[in-house]
Amino acid sequence: MTDWKEEVNKCSKCGKCHTVCPVFLETGDESMVSRGRISLAEALRDKQIVYTDKLRDYVYSCKKCMRCRTVCPSGVDYEVIISAMLRGVAEDMGVPLFPRIIFRYILPRRILFDIMLKVSSKIQRFIPMEKRGQMRHLPLLFMGKRWIPTLAKKSALKKLRKTKKLKNPRMRVGLFTGCLINYIYVDIAEAVVDVLNRMNIEVVVPQRQLCCGTPSSSMGDHKSSKKLADLNREVFESHKLDAIVTACATCTKTIKMDYLRTLGPSWQPMSDKIYDISEFIEKYCGDEYETKPVDEKVTYHDPCHLLWVRGISDEPRNVLKKSSNFVEMDQAGACCGGGGIFTIIHYDLTLKMLERKVASIERSGADTVATNCPGCVMQIADGFAGKDSKIKTTHSIQILQKALVNGGVNKGNEE
Amino acid sequence: MKLFQKTKTEDSKHQRVLRELIEVMGKERVLSAIEDRICYSYDGTKQKALPDIVVRPDGTSDVSNTLKIANKYEIPIYARGAGTGLTGGAVPLMGGIVFDLKSMNRIIEICPEDFIATVEPGVVTKDLQDEIAKFDLFYPPDPSSAAFSTIGGNVAECAGGITGLKYGVTRDYILALEIVLPDGSVINTGRKTLRSVTGYDLTRLFIGSEGTLGVFTKITVKLIPKPKKIETLAAYFSDRDDAIDAADLIIDNNILPRTLEFMDKMTINAVRSYTGTDVGEDVEALLLIDIDGTEESISHEMPVVRNACKESKASKTKVAETAKERETIWAARRSISPALYNIALHKINEDICVPRSKIKEILQKVDQINEHQTIYIANFGHIGDGNIHVNIMYNDDPDQAELAESIVNKVMREVVAVGGTISGEHGIGNKKSQFMELEISPKEMAIMKRFKNYFDPKGIMNPGKMFIR
Repeated sequence: MTDWKEEVNKCSKCGKCHTVCPVFLETGDESMVSRGRISLAEALRDKQIVYTDKLRDYVYSCKKCMRCRTVCPSGVDYEVIISAMLRGVAEDMGVPLFPRIIFRYILPRRILFDIMLKVSSKIQRFIPMEKRGQMRHLPLLFMGKRWIPTLAKKSALKKLRKTKKLKNPRMRVGLFTGCLINYIYVDIAEAVVDVLNRMNIEVVVPQRQLCCGTPSSSMGDHKSSKKLADLNREVFESHKLDAIVTACATCTKTIKMDYLRTLGPSWQPMSDKIYDISEFIEKYCGDEYETKPVDEKVTYHDPCHLLWVRGISDEPRNVLKKSSNFVEMDQAGACCGGGGIFTIIHYDLTLKMLERKVASIERSGADTVATNCPGCVMQIADGFAGKDSKIKTTHSIQILQKALVNGGVNKGNEE
Repeated sequence: MKLFQKTKTEDSKHQRVLRELIEVMGKERVLSAIEDRICYSYDGTKQKALPDIVVRPDGTSDVSNTLKIANKYEIPIYARGAGTGLTGGAVPLMGGIVFDLKSMNRIIEICPEDFIATVEPGVVTKDLQDEIAKFDLFYPPDPSSAAFSTIGGNVAECAGGITGLKYGVTRDYILALEIVLPDGSVINTGRKTLRSVTGYDLTRLFIGSEGTLGVFTKITVKLIPKPKKIETLAAYFSDRDDAIDAADLIIDNNILPRTLEFMDKMTINAVRSYTGTDVGEDVEALLLIDIDGTEESISHEMPVVRNACKESKASKTKVAETAKERETIWAARRSISPALYNIALHKINEDICVPRSKIKEILQKVDQINEHQTIYIANFGHIGDGNIHVNIMYNDDPDQAELAESIVNKVMREVVAVGGTISGEHGIGNKKSQFMELEISPKEMAIMKRFKNYFDPKGIMNPGKMFIR
């Protein structure tokens, strides 16, 4: 593994990361861009500074979208550096008690996670002001700010427990749901299974799969992330699968790329089989399906972790072009501002980014914005819920599902 | 690197300054935490020196108030744009206050009918270019950092770029400046007109003054109509001198290409291994040429340029047919800087400029200095202007570092001997101040120092830069 202490030396301080960093573009603040954080990492290495609240905020101001890595002329692997800083924050300042309990004891145990959210979903009924299926985020309720969706009554894993056996399926793939889809956007998981079935692909939803580990690693708790990675590995290696698909850009990044670091090169054969859902459909189903495009103007928002980490931009658009009246928005690759701890610590910046995104979508004239990440769906829907807009937010696979239904593609031949 | 020394009395002085700054601008705009100071301690040279305070002004009055306080307490002060300079211009060598002028980034006005725009210094150059392109106008100076450096930094260093031959450099587009002097007073130089000859040209004195005389707070630039079309040609040569001849021949034909870029073999090799660009092993030099204008003018000029290359024994010429091909060619040019690090870990990037007729001679001199090829030197750059980037590459080894320094020293002497200049576009900063006296005679040096003394008697503006102290 590359040592962050040496990696920082590669930075030539040219400043090119200024051009792409979504946070710097809002703040113009040198402490909130890779070059600044790399200098802070240098100072940490040289024992010039220690972790403080301020430093933690600067570290947490990074959205880990990795745009900077794609433009860096000196080839700095910034991810190595920011991960080390996040780990440093956790080690030196500790992970706060509440998330720590969740990371260490609840996430690795599906049953506890289920119970915790079951309880929450009971409590959420008493929260006032429900609006278009969105409700106020509990901790922020009194600030009157965020709108988040309600928890599903039945999780995706439970709903999709039984694999629909197909007659002579072309392939057999596993679905990694990820937490947001499992507990909130169950319909996305259902759409994935339905669409693949219609393409004569059998979909297994391994029941013992867990959180990918992003929340814990983004708070520097790498021990918890490692544990989750180990457990997920066990689960997915025990099924004989031709491929693993996910509908979450962040989960794809984590299990396909980050696990190579957490689990080592022996993960490579599995990593090669992991696909974003649109990427998978374009690669394996290409022209093999007939659609009747939905009569809606649909635009596409690029999730950071799909576009900037994996370079995937054409595939989701191709799928949408086949299934809708597709229109491009300006700044489709700009960050929506969503994503974990950043939205809590730097809420004001989150809002500014969201405002820009919402404006771009509105300018495109689309009826619906589609994207390939439930995190972005949640963030963008929050932006529209607050202003009573008619624009719908959805996952691109759901548009394809509708177009397949319209086109009369059968549901797959059951055995 | 000397930091702002803090004895006991200094410490209380430091506290007083901080208090006064906060009183005037509020806590938000005055940063003194170590984390913030670290983030404003460097520039594109990788040098570091910690400032004591970082001020993020919001307008001329903040700049003026800060300078009044700095001047009263005689504290060094450094104007910083995006911190992308290549000679140390924004590095707070002596500690003190850094102005983060990125916080002043408003485009104040664009007047398409007058061909002028007025901006604050923190506007990123490319943002201005994009904004005025909406009016079909063009601000040509185009340093390779244009997408992230600021217009204020460009003016302070008099940045050049690849369009210099046809369109000139930053200096040629600055009409008027609002400047805050070290005592906090505000002056306006030049006029917002395309010409003005009233009095001495103070504007030009401040352009390229590297923050040693005052701080710009408003900058008025000249705009020109945007060329309708650009076409690109790549020409390959099996002899370096042939490429230089071709460049001369193009210009002799009364054609000024928008860009006329040169790459030598060492540079090509570095780029080849980096991008996999398809250039034959026998290619010794490469010219990348952009022609801009209208459809008609390009269809007339491009064949002339191509013939000039062929006449100068180009082994191959290729016009980019599509936007994608054009992008591929320029991607190779832009990849030079990182690609050079494939040759060695460190580089000294000089930006010498000689009369065009002396380019062959100076490149031969550089070869002679490195006769035994003990070190790698890659040359590329804006050949039409005679502005060549001589990149001396060396590894982590004290002997090599010393050798590299001595080669730079010899190159600088040769450059001045053929009538060239030690800096075509990067400025002097602290990196090149030791060579300044090679080019500037004692008499002119004395005049410069008197100007400096007149504007900044207490010597608070960007100390340690330009002149040896």
